[in-house]
Order: sequence, then structure tokens, then C-alpha cells
Amino acid sequence: MLSRHKLTAWLPTVLVAIFLVIQIFPIVWVISASLQTPEALARGPSNRLIPDTLYFGNYVRAFETSPLLQYLLNSTIIAVLTIGLTILLAAPAAYAIEKLRFNGSQIVLNYFLLGLMIPVFVALLPIFQSLGFLGIRNSYWAVVLPQVGFQLPVAIYLYASFFRSIPNELLEAASIDGAGVFRTFWSVAVPLSINATITIVVYNFIFIWNEFVFANTFLTSDALKTLPVGLNDFVSDMGRRDYGATYAAIVVSVLPTVALYLFLNRRIIDSMTAGAVRG
Amino acid sequence: MRKNQLLGTPSWAGWLFVAPALLMFTAVVMVPIVWSSYLSLGVWNGLGKWRFNAGANYLSMLSDTVFRHALLNSLFFSLVGSLIQLIVGMAMAVSLISIARFRNIVRVPYFLPAVISSVAISQIFVQLLSADPEGFINGSLRSIGLGEHTQPFLSNTSLTLTIVTLVDAYKFCAIYMAIFYSALVSLDQDVLAAAEIDGANRLQQLFLIRLPLIWATIAASVVLVVSGTLRGFDIPFVMTGGGPGTSSELVSTYMYKTLFSQSNFGYGSAIAIFLVVECLLIVAIIRKAFSATEKTG
Repeated sequence: MLSRHKLTAWLPTVLVAIFLVIQIFPIVWVISASLQTPEALARGPSNRLIPDTLYFGNYVRAFETSPLLQYLLNSTIIAVLTIGLTILLAAPAAYAIEKLRFNGSQIVLNYFLLGLMIPVFVALLPIFQSLGFLGIRNSYWAVVLPQVGFQLPVAIYLYASFFRSIPNELLEAASIDGAGVFRTFWSVAVPLSINATITIVVYNFIFIWNEFVFANTFLTSDALKTLPVGLNDFVSDMGRRDYGATYAAIVVSVLPTVALYLFLNRRIIDSMTAGAVRG
Repeated sequence: MRKNQLLGTPSWAGWLFVAPALLMFTAVVMVPIVWSSYLSLGVWNGLGKWRFNAGANYLSMLSDTVFRHALLNSLFFSLVGSLIQLIVGMAMAVSLISIARFRNIVRVPYFLPAVISSVAISQIFVQLLSADPEGFINGSLRSIGLGEHTQPFLSNTSLTLTIVTLVDAYKFCAIYMAIFYSALVSLDQDVLAAAEIDGANRLQQLFLIRLPLIWATIAASVVLVVSGTLRGFDIPFVMTGGGPGTSSELVSTYMYKTLFSQSNFGYGSAIAIFLVVECLLIVAIIRKAFSATEKTG
């Protein structure tokens, strides 16, 4: 019989172990299921957590029977364009708000932060129509531009809190040395903000890679679909016929974010926490 | 000159730096709100002419039984989902700071569901809950002798709303774990040591000292989780599509169908505007409530 004291000492460890199992279970299960042969899967061993074989045929079929590779490429292109454009717009804007402090800069910041409260749904139909009007529905830009617009508030918020921490003297020293506003920004502020930029890139990457609503609404051509949308179609297409390939496709779709996460876990957790508790 | 401004910077330079972001944000986020408000005041299917019908769209929400059902479902989804995320997130954070070693290692798998896409999480749970072929959950029920409870879970209209709420909460719990954890580890250790010397046991330390000290973080998290769950969409949309029937229909999924399956642009826009106002209003009420407790407490 455990004494009361021992029980309270062990309780946190037991709880942590239970939470740990719950948090990793779905991903472990799907990886394990994706490595089993179709015969093994037909016997109902999706209940088994350790595969008895290491069979990669499901992956081969997933890539052969669907444009999974194309989806992977599309997601990558969209992520690169979106992140690049977001950084390009957010960094100078936050710098101007924090360091150039023109008349009305505080109002501009609050205007951007208003965007954090707006659900994307209200913009879906107007953006859908505008993209059609501009003739860029069913192009990468159809997803990139709306995502940039909705990512800007968080990126500006994170950049602004970083620029606030740079002492003005550092920037003023550069301008006394004869550097103009643009030179000071480009050759002093930008190099200093490398670390903040990496955080913002990583934070945005997770969201953009996983984004579903815009991609599902504005892209209909198979050649342009991103992984989440492609995966959804793949499952409704193949889910009733080829379970092994379905599991494999799910694993392929989560692999990039999970791999990035394993390398940069602390930075990702911290940036998602900071991005969440804004203001 | 205002303090904190860099020496000798003309005002136009600031506007020049901020203009591209301002234009993009206005075009993508702000103009559509105005545009949607305008569309919500008329009838339009995208082809013919937009026809003004005053507030008729908003009035028909009142008598639309599907909308009313979706609104109730959304409130359940938000209330239950928020409670689970805050309580489980807190339990995860508190148990994590209570273990002596491996905290930083454990934090990595702890946070995993938050970095996986909603579509992938949804598809994994669809497979786990499946009846044909027998998924993990039905298989487990059968093997522990609860075979009579096996069923196609996502076809059971009395379970679907609960299931999508739980799966959504599951994906986002880890965010609140991380927020609470970083607030708890930054607490002043001297205060806790003093409490321990004074004979406070662990539960007293938690409820009387730690939680009150991170009250501001908890308040911010409540706002965050409520506004997050009120706009929940991906997981219900992928797992059940709001069905079967309207059993797991949320305001957001109903709006999406009204716009993009039925091409009922006026009514769909009115629901979208309702969603924005609902989010802003509920968040404002929560903020107000918290600032009131701060003044009295």
C-alpha cells in the first residue's frame, strides 16, 4: 500500500506519462499502420501498434496512384512565396511603427492588430470574387496573397516587439555616420533581426503548410492543390479502396512539419506561444 | 519631437516603409469585411443582379432552423472545447513542472499535435473511429469485452458533435500547455519556497499561490481559446462535413456551404458577418468580465 506522501510524489510522473502516450499515440499509430502489408491490414491489424513488417509498398503506391509529389511541390512553392512576401512587407512596416514613429504610427499598429480578431470566413467570398476578377484564381497567388494579408498582423506584432528592444542609439550612430533611413534599416536593423526573422519564418511555416480553407476554396485544379487539400481528396478518393496508401499519404503530409519541429522544437514552441499570446 | 523617434527622420519615410503592408492588409482583410457587409444586405447567386432586400437575410436567420441548430452546436463546441483545452492544458503544464527531470525532452512530444495539420489529425481520427474496416477504437472495445458498443461512430448523430469537439480540443490543448508552462516556470521560486516552509501542501500552493500569480496569462488564454473555438472549421468540415444531417453543423461550416455549395451569396455573407460580430462581442464580454475581477480582486 502506497503511503499518501508517496502517492502525491508519483502522481505528476504518472500524469505526464499518460499525457505523453495520448499526445503521440495518433502519429505513432498512423506511422505503424502505414508500414504494414495490405494482407496484414486486411486482417484488421490496424489495432497493432508495432508493425510486424517494415513494408514500404504503401508509400510507393501512394506516390504512383496520386499526384502526391505535385502536392508536395505546390505546398513548398506556396510556403516560400507566402513567407518571403510576409517578411518583405512586415519587417519594414514594424520598423517604421517602432523606430521611425511617424504621426499616427500607433493608430497604424492598432489597425493591423485589429486583423487578429477577424475570422478568415468573412473575407472568403470577396476574395474569391476579386481573384476571379483579376484572373488569378487557380494560380499560386490565389492562396499566397490572402495568406500574406492574414499573416501580416502576427508577423508585424512579433517584429515590432523585437525592434522595440533595439536601442535607438545603435541606429542613430549609423545615421550620424551618414547612412540614410534605408541604409540604416537595411544594414543595421535587418542584420540584427536575423533571430527574430527565423522565429517568424518558422511560426508562419507551420500555419501556411497546414492551411486548409483558402487552398480548398481558391484552388480547384489538381496541378495546384496543396498537401492538406490533396490529402483530403486522396482519402475520399482512395480511402475506401487502399487503406495502406491512405496511411502512407497521411504520414507524407505531416513529415515536413514534424521533421522541422524535431530540429527546432524549442523555437517553434516559443514562437507559437508568443504568436498566440499577442497583446 | 516625440520620444523614441530616430533623429532626423522625415515623416514620409515612415509612411513609405509601412505603405506596402498597409495596402496588402487593407485589400485582403479590411475591404472584404465592408464588401461582405454590403453583399449581406441583398440577394445574389453570383450570376444575375444583386438585389437589395434590407435586413431580410438577418431576419431569416431567426427562422432558419438549420442556422439555429448550427448556432447551438457552435456554442457547445466553443464552451466545451474551451473548458477542455484550458483544463487539460493546465493539467499538462502543472504535471510537467512537478517532475524533476526530462522536462525539456518531454515538452517536445507533448506539443506534437499542435504542429500537425488539422486535415491530417482529422483523417487519422476518422481511421481510428472507423467501423469498416474495424478501426483501433472499435477493435479495442471488442477485445476488452465491450463489443456491444462497437459502431460506426461518425454516423451516430448523437456522438458526432462531441467527437469533433474532442478532436479539435485535442489538437490545440498543447498550445495552452505551452503558454501555462512558460508562465509557471517564470514564477519567483522564493515565493513558492516560503509557502512550502509555511506548510502549504502542493494543492494549496497550486490554487492559492501559483494560479493567482499567473492570472493575467489565464485571462489572455481564455480570450484566445474562446475566439479560436468560435471560428473552428477545419476539423468538423473534414471529419463529418457538419453531418450526418445537421448533427455537427457549426455556424462556420453552414456559412461555407451556403456560400460555396448553394451559391446563396447574400445569406451566406450575412452569416459571415454574424460570425464576426459574435466573435468580437463574446471576446469583449470576456475581457470586460476579467477586468472587473481585477479591480475587485
